[in-house]
Amino acid sequence: MRIYKINDDKFKSIYISYNFTFEVKDESDFSNSVVLAALMSKTSNKYRTLKEKNRYLNFLYGASFFVNTQRFGDLYSIEFGIEYINKEFLPDKEELLYKVLYFLKEMIYNPADWSEKEIQREKAVLANRINKQKDDKFNYAIKRVEELLCKDEPFGTALYGGIENVERVDKSSLIKAYDKLLDSCVTIIVSGNLCGYDDIDKKINEVFKNCNNLTKKITDLVFNTKKESLSNIEVVNENIDATQSILTVGMKINNCNADDFYALNLYNLILGGAPSSKLFQNVREKESLAYDISSIYNCFKDIIIIYAGINKDNYNKALRIIEDQITQIKQGKITDIEFNSAKDMLIESLIECNDSKISLLDNKLMNIIKFKTDSISIDDAIEQVKKITIDDIVRVANLISTKKIFFLGGIDNA
Amino acid sequence: MRNINIEVSRSLGESTYITTLENGLKVYICKKKGFNKKIGIFGTKYGSLDNDFIDIMTRKRIKVPDGIAHFLEHKLFENEKGNALDMFSEIGVDSNAYTSFDRTIYYFETSNRFEEAIDILIKMIKEPYFTDENVAKEQGIISQEISKYDDDTKYTVYYNLLRAMYQKNPIRVNIAGTIESISYINKELLYTCYNTFYSPQNMFILVIGDVDVNKTIELIDNRMKKYDGDITLNEKIKKFIPDEPKDILQKEITQKLDIYMPRINIGYKLPIVDGEEITKCEVISYIISEMYFSTLSDFFQKEYSEEKIDAPVDFYYEGGDTFSHVVISATSKKIDLIEEDILNYIEDIKEKQIDEELFNIVKRNIIGNIIFSSESLSSSGSTIIESILRGTSVYKEIEVLENITSKDIKDFLNKLDERYRVSSKIISKE
Repeated sequence: MRIYKINDDKFKSIYISYNFTFEVKDESDFSNSVVLAALMSKTSNKYRTLKEKNRYLNFLYGASFFVNTQRFGDLYSIEFGIEYINKEFLPDKEELLYKVLYFLKEMIYNPADWSEKEIQREKAVLANRINKQKDDKFNYAIKRVEELLCKDEPFGTALYGGIENVERVDKSSLIKAYDKLLDSCVTIIVSGNLCGYDDIDKKINEVFKNCNNLTKKITDLVFNTKKESLSNIEVVNENIDATQSILTVGMKINNCNADDFYALNLYNLILGGAPSSKLFQNVREKESLAYDISSIYNCFKDIIIIYAGINKDNYNKALRIIEDQITQIKQGKITDIEFNSAKDMLIESLIECNDSKISLLDNKLMNIIKFKTDSISIDDAIEQVKKITIDDIVRVANLISTKKIFFLGGIDNA
Repeated sequence: MRNINIEVSRSLGESTYITTLENGLKVYICKKKGFNKKIGIFGTKYGSLDNDFIDIMTRKRIKVPDGIAHFLEHKLFENEKGNALDMFSEIGVDSNAYTSFDRTIYYFETSNRFEEAIDILIKMIKEPYFTDENVAKEQGIISQEISKYDDDTKYTVYYNLLRAMYQKNPIRVNIAGTIESISYINKELLYTCYNTFYSPQNMFILVIGDVDVNKTIELIDNRMKKYDGDITLNEKIKKFIPDEPKDILQKEITQKLDIYMPRINIGYKLPIVDGEEITKCEVISYIISEMYFSTLSDFFQKEYSEEKIDAPVDFYYEGGDTFSHVVISATSKKIDLIEEDILNYIEDIKEKQIDEELFNIVKRNIIGNIIFSSESLSSSGSTIIESILRGTSVYKEIEVLENITSKDIKDFLNKLDERYRVSSKIISKE
């Protein structure tokens, strides 16, 4: 089995990431996967209680074990990750590698026989998280506009597949979800200080021998299932009893290809993704309409979301300025300062990737899924960014159109 | 020859270099080999608590509006030719600032524009530019920031806790002030605060990253020299913070917000300690939180399976020159039940014998966590800032941890006195 290794001796620890990635056919796949992930993060057949498991991890100098679920566009991924400290930095140079690997194997391949009570408990936790979504107004408003933009696509599914689907999860659906998980694509990435661990890939292969389905390839998976454009602009309002209102604007990028990735990243930084951006400068600095204003680019779904925390009375004014700034970029009204500072910022963030074993790992996984290759280095990416011109930005800007506006209106006027 | 002190951490395999410039400014450089990113920090020992002091220019006592330290933080980004935030972002450098009770911190992060970024940082701090127009503009932005926090349960429950716990200490007031209090801020008041609290003796520069130590110190010294002619009065700063009674103000504050998940903070007011003792209280609280409240505790297991909590209860210590308390924080649909359970549990663990094996396992965990966090430049920065403000050596944490005994844990738990306990709750409107 191929294991991707990223080594840098400035780190003191090692992060082993064991990812299962699969296509989602049905909303209930999300619900089952997330309940499954929650159960598997807590116990196993050997570590029957959370206490036993965590006592062991504490003993391994705070090695941290986590199970993350993540959407890559329409794909879903469950990551089993463990981080531990390289022996060079531990008192008495204590070696933890085999302990860590067998622990990880135990958690993935020897799950507990979950009791009905445990299953119900995890479902209740998720139901609470779904119900409290609105307590975080920004995330809620962003999620809502994503749902509107990607309606009927796996990415646009409600959080955790929605409350009804979570309620329907039971032991037999979980066992099916577990079988599906084991049958899905596995990607293993190791990142950190591998000094003294040259053969870590051999050891991983030794411990996880015959565990995985090697026939499935992550590069065959489709992360964006629907590409046709939406028709009219739709405005959706929702009221909330709060001081501040949240305005979100959802935009779709039509007919772009993988090569546009860096130009779109740059477009997003010029529009709203940085303090030098047009939205930050005009909505916040010039007009004092917002404290928070920004935009987010999702490269798997080809969408951009703008969000701003504003006073309800300023809705029309804020929206007008936002639309005006979008048009300006389309017309090529981008100053050299706006362009160059966005470029510098993007290059800077790529360079800084090298300082975090998690960013390095995430970047590798993103490349494997998005570009279907693991050979793009950070330096290659920087070269790509350097080549982008203002004309490239104008070209991608004209692929973008506003489709959905979601307004979470506060009641008070602050 | 410049006198440079070196503090070495053998466990983390790194060092911090410390020197004092002629004008009194302390400079700290934490060398992180191999990292691309460099963080530059300019900080002042001035925060939201410092609202009543002797104006260093007029030598008269003055009371300033709540939230002015935070307002000043926003305004220092403004200079005559434009905005420092813009100047940083024009060279692709990320920058920001924050204000808390006892400090204001300005920082940037860059990998290859370090010298230029240091220039901008020093310039923005040393060349304030306040006008009536730019003060008025900021009132709009900060009002939105205050509204955002008003809607946030985490902030609201915490500030209500402090308001219940403290009778006179200005910690009772939100760091950003109120929409009303900031309306009284004008450029003259900003200059008064600036002149009093932004003198080199009250400030420090901290650099974290793989930089050449001597060159960096020379660079900073060189840029700072330009301002040596400025009127900086090297007088001792005189602040007035009202004496805080031992007693709490009220037992409980409950507020309703339009939320689904209620939140509770329980606080215990404690005697004030200083310097290394603050670090010790923090580490002890960290151990208590891991032993008694984290996912490896029986308490978590029980409360979780009874559906009282979905995530571990937090337990942490906060201390400064004029405040000292423990905060216990939880979210729950059954807020009153979880409160009762936590309070009974605290009394229980005071009585119980300490599980020595668990105590030692948790210590191993914390050693690991200190090593993990040293991989992040910004966490290293936060730890060093704390040591600067406390006047302790930089790498105290591991040493303090090693010296803590199970008796220290017991003694600390016994300081949590029901008479000085307060509760703050945010509950749903329905």
